[in-house]
Amino acid sequence: MRVFLGLALLLTAVTAQSAERLHLLIPAGPGGGLDSTARALGNALQAADLRSPVSYENMTGGGGGRAMAHFIETAPRQQETLLVNSTPLIVRSLQGLFPHSHHDVIPVAGLIAEFGAFVVRADSPIDSWTAFLTQLRADPAGVNVGGGSVRGSLDHIVLALALSGAGMDPRRVRYLPYDAGGKAMLALLGGEADVLSTGVGEALGYVRSGDVRILATTAPDRLPNLPDVPTLTELGVAFTFANWRGVFAAPGTPPDAVRQMEADVRAATDTDSWRQALQRYGWSPLGLYGEAFARYLDAQEIQLESTLVELGFISR
Amino acid sequence: MWEGISTGFATAFTLANVGWVLLGCMAGTIIGMLPGLGPITAIALMIPVSYSLDPASGLIMMAGVYYGAVFGGSTSAILINAPGVASTVATSFDGYPMAREGQAGRALAIAAYASFAGGTLGALALMAFAGYLAALALEFQSPEYSLLLLVAMVSVVVFADRGARVRSLVTLLIGLMLGTIGTDQLAGIPRFTLGRYDLADGLNFVLVVMATFALAEAMRMVLLDDSTPPGRVSLRELVLPRPLVRPLVPVVGRSAAVGFLTGVLPGAGATLASFFAYDLEKRVGNGTRESGVAAPEAANNAASTGSFVPLLTLGIPGSGTTAVLLGVMLSYGLQPGPRLLTEQPEIFWGVIASMYLGNLFLLALNLPLIPLLARLLNLSSSLLIPLIVAFSLVGVYLTTLNGFDLYLMLGLAVLALLLRWFDFPLAPLLLGFILSGLFEENVRRTLFIGEAGYSEILQRPAVLVLLMLLIVLCLVPLRKQGADPIERH
Repeated sequence: MRVFLGLALLLTAVTAQSAERLHLLIPAGPGGGLDSTARALGNALQAADLRSPVSYENMTGGGGGRAMAHFIETAPRQQETLLVNSTPLIVRSLQGLFPHSHHDVIPVAGLIAEFGAFVVRADSPIDSWTAFLTQLRADPAGVNVGGGSVRGSLDHIVLALALSGAGMDPRRVRYLPYDAGGKAMLALLGGEADVLSTGVGEALGYVRSGDVRILATTAPDRLPNLPDVPTLTELGVAFTFANWRGVFAAPGTPPDAVRQMEADVRAATDTDSWRQALQRYGWSPLGLYGEAFARYLDAQEIQLESTLVELGFISR
Repeated sequence: MWEGISTGFATAFTLANVGWVLLGCMAGTIIGMLPGLGPITAIALMIPVSYSLDPASGLIMMAGVYYGAVFGGSTSAILINAPGVASTVATSFDGYPMAREGQAGRALAIAAYASFAGGTLGALALMAFAGYLAALALEFQSPEYSLLLLVAMVSVVVFADRGARVRSLVTLLIGLMLGTIGTDQLAGIPRFTLGRYDLADGLNFVLVVMATFALAEAMRMVLLDDSTPPGRVSLRELVLPRPLVRPLVPVVGRSAAVGFLTGVLPGAGATLASFFAYDLEKRVGNGTRESGVAAPEAANNAASTGSFVPLLTLGIPGSGTTAVLLGVMLSYGLQPGPRLLTEQPEIFWGVIASMYLGNLFLLALNLPLIPLLARLLNLSSSLLIPLIVAFSLVGVYLTTLNGFDLYLMLGLAVLALLLRWFDFPLAPLLLGFILSGLFEENVRRTLFIGEAGYSEILQRPAVLVLLMLLIVLCLVPLRKQGADPIERH
């Protein structure tokens, strides 16, 4: 018992500071893109003494649906909480996989845009986007494309959109779903997947270590930290796509509290800690707040709905 | 490499870092001992502390928390049949019966020594082979996983008592079915959830194990009114007699090897390892209860050390726990992976070197606690049973924070009680449940790949070895004379 008390005291001593606390609810497991975003934001908030302590809660399940439902159901207790979320929120509510959508929570800030990347092993015979297409045309069954999420979700949709932009039928391509980005990367490195559809950030570490190469990104322009990697637009596919990551407040949070959180988050994105995180993970800043972020989400919802219907992932 | 190792020891053995190892191990053991709380919770609770440390100290402490929790996890499995994490389920098979017969102290002591040996051998192997074993982790892809999991499930059935094979198969299948409740992992569609959001996630592991093991056992104790013979545990009993120890040495060696290799594979490492080691000892070894406790404990500790291989060398977390550790590393700005070894050798080797120290601390911390813990069983059943019920219900509620789960748990406990009443073994049920999701996911991916033809898959060496092993296993029941029937929990 005494040990427990000692531990509790130590925890309190380490974490007790003046700024207000903030809790970040992460609808995904540790180690992925959402988790790194939350932790980078938390670090920036704490480093600038805007919020302290910042606590994190990883709540997996139902493709983020469980965290979303929990957030909304317990909203009165979540006034000091921000829910971290990303584009799959829109995709999954369009697919009717969970009852809630971004309209049920309060958009606070759109923090970053992460572009999609098509990744191969460094020694892969598929050495360019064109080679990938050629191979697919010749033998669609001979190429395994992996992704870090279930069929019909973001990694799969980005792949499908890119391929249909290149004039191919995306439904003929074999997509192998893995339950997390890390496992998908393991499958690529181990040779089970030939090409990986993922976010630039999740591949960057492995690009730097020389294990993988990126064939193309879905960014509108070449990324500053990947000057040699072409965009799909350059390669003749008229398709750009950004996976946003942002934070939301619980429904019913007082407007003052929402504005304060927005101001704190905005200030946190102007710190060295945050800029270093952007650099390290290869993220591009999105920088949309409040109303502007809400309008951005509405527009993306409309765009995604029509493409999902077109591709047969949902019926209207 | 030698230079790296000496840097590692220099990093790990500074006064401050020795202190952090000690703190980590202590926190890990204490949290791990509580039923329902395992390494993931322990590590998550310590994250705020890690922020105030430099990366090397922080990781050394967190690694201590991790294997400390694995070390402490066997306590509730042995004492009250409530394995808090999947990797200690196998420990309860022989550990709990030992405790019921007044040998709680001996079982706990064996578990502590075996954990120490497993963890230390694991650290040695990690130091020697980390670089080479990364390749093994990459070799294992969906087809290999599917077969490996199948081997684990088939062995639990064929190595059961002659008369209990069909029953084991039945409960294994029930477990597999329980595991299909929840969201389909490949297509993202809810299955068997009755439209309830509470089931969208599937059944929680802690819930199932607490219901089928701890709660059902408490109910049985009420119905049968059997009480534990009071066991007296003195410090002297912690020194195991030589004739008892000698046969356990090879058991621990074998189990640590099995455990470490299985732990290297990303996935259900420590759990599979403990089941494999248990089955191996029951078949190949002399099958005593003591070895039934030593084998899974040596294996799961070696496996938790082995799981650092894919984390540190490939940057890929193999389990929920190492995924949280990866998050901690990323928050320090470290990118685990091939470059960690060359760019930050003091961290890579420092963490490994600290494990020797950590395991020593754990042994020193755990042994003196054993007489105290074992005294728990001397409580009269009118106190002990309500305690077990309260512990298991609270443990589950704290994990899921969902009142619905408590009703679910009661229902499952009654089902488990009925199964036991008719002599159906519950271990296969739990194994089936634990492996269900992983098995389905890998089999379905293998089938996707197989669309292009299976010849390529069949040419992979690991696939062939596992297939042959599977065929041999399936032939076991055809033998006319089996070995002595094994007592199964």
